[in-house]
Amino acid sequence: MNLLTLIVVLPLAGFLLNGLLGPRLGKPFVTVVGCGLPILAFLATVRAFLQLNGTEGAALVETAYTWAVVGDFTFDIAFYFDRLSAVMTLIITGVGSLIHVYSTGYMKDDASYARYFSYLNLFLFFMLLLVLGRSLLVCFVGWEGVGLASYLLIGFWFEDMAKAQAGKKAFITNRVGDAGFLLGMFLLYHAVGTLDFDGVNAAFSGPVAPAVSASLVGVLLFIGATGKSAQIPLHVWLPDAMAGPTPVSALIHAATMVTAGVYLVARLNGLYLQAPEASQVIAVIGVLTAFFAATIAVVQTDIKKVLAYSTISQLGFMFVALGVGAYGVAVFHVYTHAFFKACLFLGAGSVIHALSGEQDIRKMGGLARRIPITFVTFAVATAAIAGLPPLAGFFSKDEILWFAFASERGGSTLLWAVASLTALLTAFYMFRLLWLTFLTPSRMDEKTAHHVHESPFSMTGVLIVLAVLSAVGGFVHLPHFLEPLMPLPATDHALEHLEMPLIVLAVVTGLLGLGAAIYVYRGGLARAERLQRRFAGAHRLLSGKYFVDEFYEAVLGRPLHWISERVFLRLGDRILIDGSLHGLTGLAQRAAGRLSRVETGNLQFYVLLAALGLVASLAWMWRHG
Amino acid sequence: MDRTQLLLTVSIALFALGLTGVMIRRNALVMLMCMELMLNGVILSLVTFAAATATLSGAVLVFLVFVVAAAEIAIAIPIVLLLSRQRKSLDVGAYSELKG
Amino acid sequence: MSLESLLLYFFAGGALLGGVLMLVARHPMRVALALIGSMLSLAGLYAVLGVHVIAVFQVLIYVGAVMVFMVYVIMLLDVRDPSFLERYSGALLPSVALAAAIAVALGAALSRGTVADGPDPAALAAAARGTLFNVQPFSVEFLERYWLHFELTSVLLLAAVVAAIAIVKAGRRHDG
Repeated sequence: MNLLTLIVVLPLAGFLLNGLLGPRLGKPFVTVVGCGLPILAFLATVRAFLQLNGTEGAALVETAYTWAVVGDFTFDIAFYFDRLSAVMTLIITGVGSLIHVYSTGYMKDDASYARYFSYLNLFLFFMLLLVLGRSLLVCFVGWEGVGLASYLLIGFWFEDMAKAQAGKKAFITNRVGDAGFLLGMFLLYHAVGTLDFDGVNAAFSGPVAPAVSASLVGVLLFIGATGKSAQIPLHVWLPDAMAGPTPVSALIHAATMVTAGVYLVARLNGLYLQAPEASQVIAVIGVLTAFFAATIAVVQTDIKKVLAYSTISQLGFMFVALGVGAYGVAVFHVYTHAFFKACLFLGAGSVIHALSGEQDIRKMGGLARRIPITFVTFAVATAAIAGLPPLAGFFSKDEILWFAFASERGGSTLLWAVASLTALLTAFYMFRLLWLTFLTPSRMDEKTAHHVHESPFSMTGVLIVLAVLSAVGGFVHLPHFLEPLMPLPATDHALEHLEMPLIVLAVVTGLLGLGAAIYVYRGGLARAERLQRRFAGAHRLLSGKYFVDEFYEAVLGRPLHWISERVFLRLGDRILIDGSLHGLTGLAQRAAGRLSRVETGNLQFYVLLAALGLVASLAWMWRHG
Repeated sequence: MDRTQLLLTVSIALFALGLTGVMIRRNALVMLMCMELMLNGVILSLVTFAAATATLSGAVLVFLVFVVAAAEIAIAIPIVLLLSRQRKSLDVGAYSELKG
Repeated sequence: MSLESLLLYFFAGGALLGGVLMLVARHPMRVALALIGSMLSLAGLYAVLGVHVIAVFQVLIYVGAVMVFMVYVIMLLDVRDPSFLERYSGALLPSVALAAAIAVALGAALSRGTVADGPDPAALAAAARGTLFNVQPFSVEFLERYWLHFELTSVLLLAAVVAAIAIVKAGRRHDG
């Protein structure tokens, strides 16, 4: 039985059914197909997972279709299911199914219900192709496909120009990264002669290293990863991507798609182990992204934007882990992050739902009593992301900090210090969000306050499941489970006695963030506004997001626009293309004007011409006959 | 010069004479008659070949060409009639409506 | 020189003479008479060749039908216009030169050409006896092999009659 193919094809069937028949057959049909097929895919994944455990670590491989044969090389659409793809597939189908169920409540009244579910299923299909593909090529198809689905869903409400623009921005920014991915892939194929992940890893860990710089390939592929996973310098699209429906933000822009970059690097760990320079780049980019995104999140006032910057920051953490060689730990953080960030986003969706679309946290407050289930689940997830024990985020974040400090593959005190500072900021801005939304006195206007209501069970039920998973998910020790595939890096023995103190320090950091948030925001916004006035310059810098967008606009956007306007439009299009076409038509017109004088209206002249033609053709036959 | 070659030469000469007539004569009816002469030249070559190769089908084809010629003249003459009625002239120089 | 070739040269000369006279005669009636002479000479040629059926049709259809029609029209339209006073158009010399060039080119092709397939000897023998192109074999061939073409010519003639009537009617309406 082709279990892996089945997993991939189920959401595709959902996309086709909902996309083609959904608008005609009505909402019940769309709901059953849209949620049922992902749940079936999840069950199939569980079955495949059990099968995998039965084989004692040998990966399941399935060739669905031979795509192309070029000389001696065959390009198969093959699926590869080992422990890493198993974890990713379980997250994608599991969290994905939950978010589908949540969407039935959240999108209940939307006119394009069927279109929404077909896009969501399409996304699942491409995401599964991405993580289950055996070769980089199949992975790349999925990679582009999730970009497409993300574009479609960010711009889901495309009547709003700003939202359509956000979709475009995401797509174009990703394209920059994809160029790196493609170059890396070509280089790899040129040097190794295969694009299969297992083949590439084996080639790089074998006795004879391939004749290519592993770091060069590594950096190129990492550029692709920065695009998809929103790392500096390609992070600018993710905050704008919050224009999409909130469940989409939870699924695509928090739990699954943005972790594709992490998956890619972890999948190619055999390559990155041979590429210390590339690993160093990854660690530095990761920690810088984590820190700067966290500082921006501190001053954001849109509930979804705070979560978006927090996502960027957490992705930075994952890349720190990848950079110091702790691939299993990075996947561990992907896994815990999927739970608590999905829970946070869906909780934020529930809040927005309750407030009839309000997203500004300065206009919230006092919601704890009004929507208690949302509050409790949101609080659990907040504590998890802040790294308070014994919640899931504590385990994964603590391991990242530890390896950032002690790994022999690039760990350093500086890396640890910046990461810890980021963790402190994380705790601070997350609790700030919690307090401003739920606990401070209400700042809502009368009309909104009157309408506040708890969400339906399809939404709260999902929140509860995710909150429970955020609470207990950390007890599954994933790095250990993944160790046969990607061993953890050796740590410095001289530092091992510091492990316990560091854990304590991490917990203290989290509590410190909590305390600072309570101190500043307990009484509402008054104290924060005083701080804002005192550090006006810093606040402007942060709320302007370090003016990266403006910088890109000035350095890339304007010159491009200038070149397009002056060189391509005026010179190329108007002068060269239009000019040559107009010239040709003018030539034809003038020639026709001249030739029409031949038509004198004199019959005998025509006969003369016909005879002339006859003579000419006879002469031609005479020469060539 | 054997028989076939003589007759073919005559046929070419008739064709050329007819063509000259079409090109130089100004009277529309005369032009039509010159065209008939050209056609007769061509028919002569056809008959000559049929006789030289003893092909009965050639004779049949000649008969069919006769019929087509009759049909052609049945249409051409009314046209000339109409033209002359409109212009009160048979001079083709008067028919310059077709100027481009 | 046998009688046959004497007749051959006589009729060929007559046909050419008729053609030349057509070019120089001023009045259309004379042109028509020259053409009739040329056509009768051609009919004589066909008879000398032994193709009696065609010779008869040449006289019947061309001289009997077409040319009579033509003469009738000439008499009907006795228009005196510049085409009577001035026989030739402006481009006289180039036209003659062109026609001569065509004649030379065709003649050159004639001198190079050969008949590709040798004729059927039995048919040749019949042709020599002068029986191949008799009415009976001609009719058998016509109505057994080419009956469809024969029927099609009747359609063509019908179409021509309808067209001629339509043209005349359209002209009447136009005149008003």
